[in-house]
Amino acid sequence: MLKKFLLTAAALSMVAGSGWAQWTGGDDLPTNPLACDGSPGSVAAKPYDGGSPSNAPNRKGKSITVVDVPKLIGIGYFNATSKGITDAAKELGNVSASTDGPTEANIDDQITFIDNYITSGVDGILFAANDPVAIAPVLKKALSKGINVVGYDANSQPDARQWFVNQAEFNGIAKALVDSMVAEVGANAGIAIVTSTFTTPNQARWIAEMSAYASKCHPNLKFLETVEAQEDNILSFNQATTLINKYGDDLDGIFGMTSVATPASAEAVTQAGECGKIAIVGLATPNAMKPYVATNCVKSVVLWNPVDLGYAAMHVLRAVADGNLKPGAKSVKAGKLGELQIINGSEILLGAPYVFDKGNINGFDF
Amino acid sequence: MSARGLLFRHESVLALLLVLTLAVLAQQSDKFFTMANMLNQGRLMAEVGIIALAMTFVIVTAGIDLSVGSILGLVAIVMGVLWQKAGLPLPVAIGLGVVLGCIAGFANGFIITKFGVPPLITTLGTLALYRGLAEGISQARSVRGYPDWFFTLGQGELWGIPTQLWIFLLLAIITAVILGLTPFGRATYAIGSNSIAAEFSGIPVRNSYLIIYTLSGLFSAIAAVIFVSRVSTTRSDMGTGLELDVITAVVLGGSSIFGGKGTIIGTLLGLTLMQALKNGLSLAGVKGDGTIVMIGVVLIGALILSNLFQKKGDG
Repeated sequence: MLKKFLLTAAALSMVAGSGWAQWTGGDDLPTNPLACDGSPGSVAAKPYDGGSPSNAPNRKGKSITVVDVPKLIGIGYFNATSKGITDAAKELGNVSASTDGPTEANIDDQITFIDNYITSGVDGILFAANDPVAIAPVLKKALSKGINVVGYDANSQPDARQWFVNQAEFNGIAKALVDSMVAEVGANAGIAIVTSTFTTPNQARWIAEMSAYASKCHPNLKFLETVEAQEDNILSFNQATTLINKYGDDLDGIFGMTSVATPASAEAVTQAGECGKIAIVGLATPNAMKPYVATNCVKSVVLWNPVDLGYAAMHVLRAVADGNLKPGAKSVKAGKLGELQIINGSEILLGAPYVFDKGNINGFDF
Repeated sequence: MSARGLLFRHESVLALLLVLTLAVLAQQSDKFFTMANMLNQGRLMAEVGIIALAMTFVIVTAGIDLSVGSILGLVAIVMGVLWQKAGLPLPVAIGLGVVLGCIAGFANGFIITKFGVPPLITTLGTLALYRGLAEGISQARSVRGYPDWFFTLGQGELWGIPTQLWIFLLLAIITAVILGLTPFGRATYAIGSNSIAAEFSGIPVRNSYLIIYTLSGLFSAIAAVIFVSRVSTTRSDMGTGLELDVITAVVLGGSSIFGGKGTIIGTLLGLTLMQALKNGLSLAGVKGDGTIVMIGVVLIGALILSNLFQKKGDG
C-alpha cells in the first residue's frame, strides 16, 4: 500500500514539473501565423478529410428534421446562431429545425442530448462542440445511422462530421485580436487571457495562433496568464477581477476569448476603475459590448456575424442532404451569403473577421 | 411480512410508478421501447449506477458523499496523465487510478471518523479539493489517443449487451447480497438507525464507516475508467454535478437521508426511473429544461406517495 502510494506521488510530481506551450490555453496543433503587414496568407489545398454517413436515405428535395446542439443554450451568441438557423430553415421551406442543448457548457450533457436525438431519428445534426475528441464517438454513431452531420463554430475531429463551417480563419482572428490589442496598449504590454476551458477546440486554436502571431510580429508582448471561465458570466467576472488584483500595474490588456468573457472582463475593469488603463479586446456580440464601447472603456470588438454562421450551417446541411455538396467541392452556395470558399479539406469559410468599434456598433442588433 | 406490507413498501410503489412511466413514455414515442434504445440507455446509466450502488451504503448509514463526482474526475485525469506523460502501460495506469480512488474514499472516511467532522462538510470539502487536484494535475489539458482495445469497455458489447452493463449488473448483485444478506449489511442498517446503540452493541462502527467510504471511492474510480472509455478522452471537468444524479437515484429508491432504510433494488428502480424519464421525455419532444423539472416533480411525488403509505411509527 505504501509503495503504491509513493509510486503514485512520484509519478504525479514528475508530471507536474513538465512545461507546456508558451501561452497557456492553446492546443498542440501546428500554427500558421499570417504576415505582419496584412498580406493574405497562402491556403494549402487539402484533400477532403470529413466523415460520411453510411446508408443515408435519399433526402433530395424532401422535408427533413434537423436539430442544432450548440455548446450551451441561453447565451446571446448561440441565440444568434439559432436565429440564423431558423431564418435559413424558413427560407428553404422544407426544413424543420430546432435548437436544444445543455444549460452549461458540459460535454457529458451535450453527448447525451445528441444521443437522444439520434434515437429519435432526426435527419440532420448541427453542432458546436465542447470538446473535439469526446464528441467524436457519438457523432460517428450518428453518421453510422445515416444522419447528416455538419459542425459550426467549434469543430470536432474531422472524420466525425461531414463539413465544418468555420466563422473565420483561425489565424485571421488571431491577427485581428493581437493587432487590435497592440494598437491600444503598444508593443511592450503585459496581457492576460480569459478563455472558456483549455480544451474547448476553437478557443484553444485561437490562443495557439495568437501566440504564434505575437512571437512573430510583436515579440515584446509579455504574456502573464490564461484563466478559465467556462462561458459562465459570474466566473468570468471573478477571474477578470482576480487578474486585475493579482498583476496590478503589470497588466495592460485582457483578451476575452468568449462572448461571455469579454463583457464580463469589461465590467470587471469598469468596476475596478481601470478603464483606459487596462484595455479589453475580445470576441463578443455587439449588444453585450455597446455600454462599454459607449463609455470608451472598450475600443474594438472582434467577431463575425453569428446569425450568418447559423444561416450558412443550415444551408450547408441542406446541400449535403440533397447530395449537392460532395467531397472535393471547392465552394458551396449558401443562400443570400453567396458562394462560400472551402478550405482545409472539409472546412467552409464564412468570411473575414469583423471589427466592431464606436463608429459602427450601433448598427447591429444581436 | 404480510401481503399488505409488501404491497405498500416504497420499492413496490416505485416499481409501479416505473411501469406506469414506461407505458406512458412508450406511447409518446415509438422509438422509446426498442431493444436498441433500452440497451443504449443501460450503457449510459452504468456510470451513475455503479456509484449509486456504493452511495446506497453511505446513505443507509445516515452519511452522504458529495465528492464522488470529483473523485471520478481526479481518477480519470491521473489515469490519463500516468499513461501519457509518465509512460506507464495503460493497465498499470488504470490500476493505480483505481487505487487512488480507494485512497480518496479512505481519506473521506478517515476525516469523518477520526476528527468527527460531519460527512456533509467533509465531502463538501473534498469535492473542491479533489476537483482542484484534477485541474492542477491536468493543467486543464485533456488526454486523448487511447489504444483501441480500451474502448471496448465503454463502447463495446459482449453477447449483445454493452460491456459496462455487465459490470454494473455484476456489482449490483454483489452489493445487493452484501447489504441484504451479510452481517456487514446488517451492521450498516444498525449504524444508520442508531450509531450509538450500534457502537455499544459491539459493531465496529468506525471501521464500517472507513470501509463504506473507501467503497464509495473505489466505485467512483471504476465508473471513471468506464466513463473515459466511453467518451474516448479525459478531461478534468468530467463528473461535475454527477453526485446530484447519484443521490437523486438513491433517495428516489427509498433510502432515507436519516439512515437505516434503503435497498439496492430500490436504488436500481430509482436509477431506471430517472434514466427512463430523461430519455423518454427527450424522445417525446420535451426540451432539456422540461426534463429536469419532470425529474424533480417525480422525485417529490414518489417520496410523498411512499410516505402516505407508510404506517406511522414503523421502521
